[in-house]
Amino acid sequence: MILLSQLLRYELIDRSGRRAVPVDFTIDLGADHPPVTGLLWRRAREATRFLPWEAVDSLDRDRQRFVVADLSGDDTPVEESTDRRVLLRRDVLDALVIDLSARRAMRANDLMLEAEGGALRLAAVDASAWAVLRRLSRGVVGHDADEPSDWSYVEFLRGDPQAPTCGVDYNRRITRLPPGEIARLMEALPYLEAAELVTLLPDALAADTLEVMSPQRQLQVFEELDETVAIRLVALMAPDAAADLVGHLRAEMAERYLGLLPPECRERVVDLLRYPEDTVGGIMTNDVVVVPPSATIGQAVDIIRGQVATPDLVYYVYVVEDLASRELRGMITLRTLLLAEVDQRVADVMDPYLVTLHPLTPAREAAQRVVDSQLFALPVVGADGRLLGAVTVDAAVLQVAPESWRKDVPRVFA
Amino acid sequence: MTTTHPTGMEPVAPATQPPRPPELRRISPGIRINIRGRSVRLRGLRRTPSGPLRWLAILGPGIIAGSAGNDAGGIATYSQAGAKFGYDMLWVIVLITLSLAVVQEMSARLGAATGRGLLDLIRERFGIGWSLFAVGIVLVANGVLIVGEFIGIGAAVELLGISRYVVIPGAAVVLWYLVVKGSYARVEKVFLLMALGFLAYPVSAILAHPQWGAVARGAVVPTIHFSSAYILLFVGLLGTTITPYQQIFQQSAVVDKGVARRHYGEERIDTYVGMVLSDLMSAFMIIATAATLHVVGKTNIGSAADAAQALEPVAGRFAAALFAVGLLGASLLAGAVLPLATAFSVSEVFGFPKGVNLDFRRGKFFLSLFTVFVILGAVLAMIPGLPVIQALVWIQVLNGILLPVILVFILLLVNDRRLMGDLRNTRLYNVLGWGTLTLVSVAITIMISTQLLGAVGVHVLGG
Repeated sequence: MILLSQLLRYELIDRSGRRAVPVDFTIDLGADHPPVTGLLWRRAREATRFLPWEAVDSLDRDRQRFVVADLSGDDTPVEESTDRRVLLRRDVLDALVIDLSARRAMRANDLMLEAEGGALRLAAVDASAWAVLRRLSRGVVGHDADEPSDWSYVEFLRGDPQAPTCGVDYNRRITRLPPGEIARLMEALPYLEAAELVTLLPDALAADTLEVMSPQRQLQVFEELDETVAIRLVALMAPDAAADLVGHLRAEMAERYLGLLPPECRERVVDLLRYPEDTVGGIMTNDVVVVPPSATIGQAVDIIRGQVATPDLVYYVYVVEDLASRELRGMITLRTLLLAEVDQRVADVMDPYLVTLHPLTPAREAAQRVVDSQLFALPVVGADGRLLGAVTVDAAVLQVAPESWRKDVPRVFA
Repeated sequence: MTTTHPTGMEPVAPATQPPRPPELRRISPGIRINIRGRSVRLRGLRRTPSGPLRWLAILGPGIIAGSAGNDAGGIATYSQAGAKFGYDMLWVIVLITLSLAVVQEMSARLGAATGRGLLDLIRERFGIGWSLFAVGIVLVANGVLIVGEFIGIGAAVELLGISRYVVIPGAAVVLWYLVVKGSYARVEKVFLLMALGFLAYPVSAILAHPQWGAVARGAVVPTIHFSSAYILLFVGLLGTTITPYQQIFQQSAVVDKGVARRHYGEERIDTYVGMVLSDLMSAFMIIATAATLHVVGKTNIGSAADAAQALEPVAGRFAAALFAVGLLGASLLAGAVLPLATAFSVSEVFGFPKGVNLDFRRGKFFLSLFTVFVILGAVLAMIPGLPVIQALVWIQVLNGILLPVILVFILLLVNDRRLMGDLRNTRLYNVLGWGTLTLVSVAITIMISTQLLGAVGVHVLGG
């Protein structure tokens, strides 16, 4: 292992004995242990120039130097400060990077590289305080890192939300984390980095992650997203979460985004946005699974199968008179559905004794009832008997929990 | 609980559907918008506040960062300036307000454009060496300020007749406990309320019937006294009004509030209003002291009791008590926030876990730093026979000396195209920013050289 801070103190020497110093290294971040692709070098009082890694003959660790083919400096100089490539010293060293195994953001206090078979690869990050001491003392004080973080479990972000769509390389191992953990990681990142991370995720995961972020962070990240990406994500979010997000946007932006949503999704979100946010209508979801009472269990399972792709709440199936009027008759749980005989009728096994909520009841009061009921959700019914949606225990807990620990509440239907 | 809802006692049927809730509260009219040619009224949309409400909604970090300047050290410096030179230093406040607004605006802009704290940015842009240098500066500047806050606590309780040797350790323990146990936010409002006692200054300034003509002249005409006391107070005023801590705080607060770069424009108002209000308060402190003490020939403030006399026009014989309560509130507030903010931004530089909801195992560095600051501040503030007002003024002078370093970093960062994009400094801001830096540097150079020359017996300026 060689430290980047050591490499930057090496010197360059070519076949005819010309000397120079390395300034920085370019890297191709696509791989688990990404290879160095070239180096920027400079001779005293001259412009910085680029040398591809292929031109490096060998890395002489004993005499601390790179032996290279030619340092005549005939090629065009590069402007180090505006170079768009990822540079190890300028960009990665000292940056805030994500440690995926420990699920935290850390400082890249030093970088560890590995030389093998002529290639130089980025192997690990040293985030310890020793690395700081070692760098300041030029290697005199401080010992090797006890537990460097393997680069294959490190994600480096550039702070540019549009970067992932421009074909820039990432580790992308973060996509294996659950959305809640990604969201929590993001709270520790500056908002541009968080937005970049959302853009990096596959759409479905990005939408789930957006749903569980704190409202302020969610809005900040969302506004940084490219419009087409933003629309795609809203369409994938649960309608209640989407309505909360759109409700926080400025009116003209909300209008624009609602207009661009796919019709079915727009319908759902607009329905929810008709209610003030501090009422039952403001916290309910309207994506619920329904069956008619006349169906047999076998038919019911078929009907439900077509509906359960998107809703968060699938355990409770609501029984409505017919799918057009949606007049609530009862409720049936998935468990009942599984245990009942195929030829039994829904009306015979359903539970007709339901506590229901009115959409304009204050949210806090209704939420308390949901929590007290110890059920996963209570149905919301309009004055005309129509089933409008349901308030899930997740939404309810967020209402009754004290402000201070709301962000720590785990969500069941997320 | 209302009983009009179905209770689950009977099957749900049309007859038992829930009626509307009895307390149909005033439902907001909502916002009418056009979606695909269909007009819909949406009540769940946030209406952006308009009129005066709009301004209130924006105000936040700026006001707090601004009032952070009016702490124990600030009061000591303003009182001393008012007592010694009457209205002659008011023009400095006017000048400083412009500089302060420019500097704070740049800090806020840095925060909005990057979502990062100042020391964090220094670490990423200038590397480990420079960032440790900046951390050192911040540790010294904030460290002495924390000592100043504890001196303030001590001075306040001594005015009320309680020994500072009892209260300072007590206050340190209580503040430490409140912050570490996470219940600080609840008592913060009490401290704020106490600090409002200083609103008595403007009232006192008016009741003291100053010669408004002289006040106006002092504010507009630069009057320079060629004495080392004047230049010392000049740097002190710079140091207490434009403090490194304030820039760091402003930037973190903007980041914390979640101001995004595309909404930054309206945030400027907050910064400007905050700074003008804060400096208006400073000016009133000078006016009140000048109109009560300077006019009767009392030109040196030696203790908190002297400074409190400036409140006599409004509070009479309760002036000392009013002053003590205000000072205690302001000092307790800053005594908790300063070590906290310092530990926060230093942890950020090294990438250590930070935040008050950590335990000692996870937040070792953060909580240790916080604890060391509180202990050090309290211990140093208990040095027997400490000349309270002089110590406080010198703390501000030291902050003034360290200010240019932080200013250089801010100016370099705010001109970085890759970092700031469209929000990078315009030419006007650069002129004002570098101008401020020059002003501060020249003042410091003059001050240090007169002090040095004075030490070897050469008096260029009068005493």
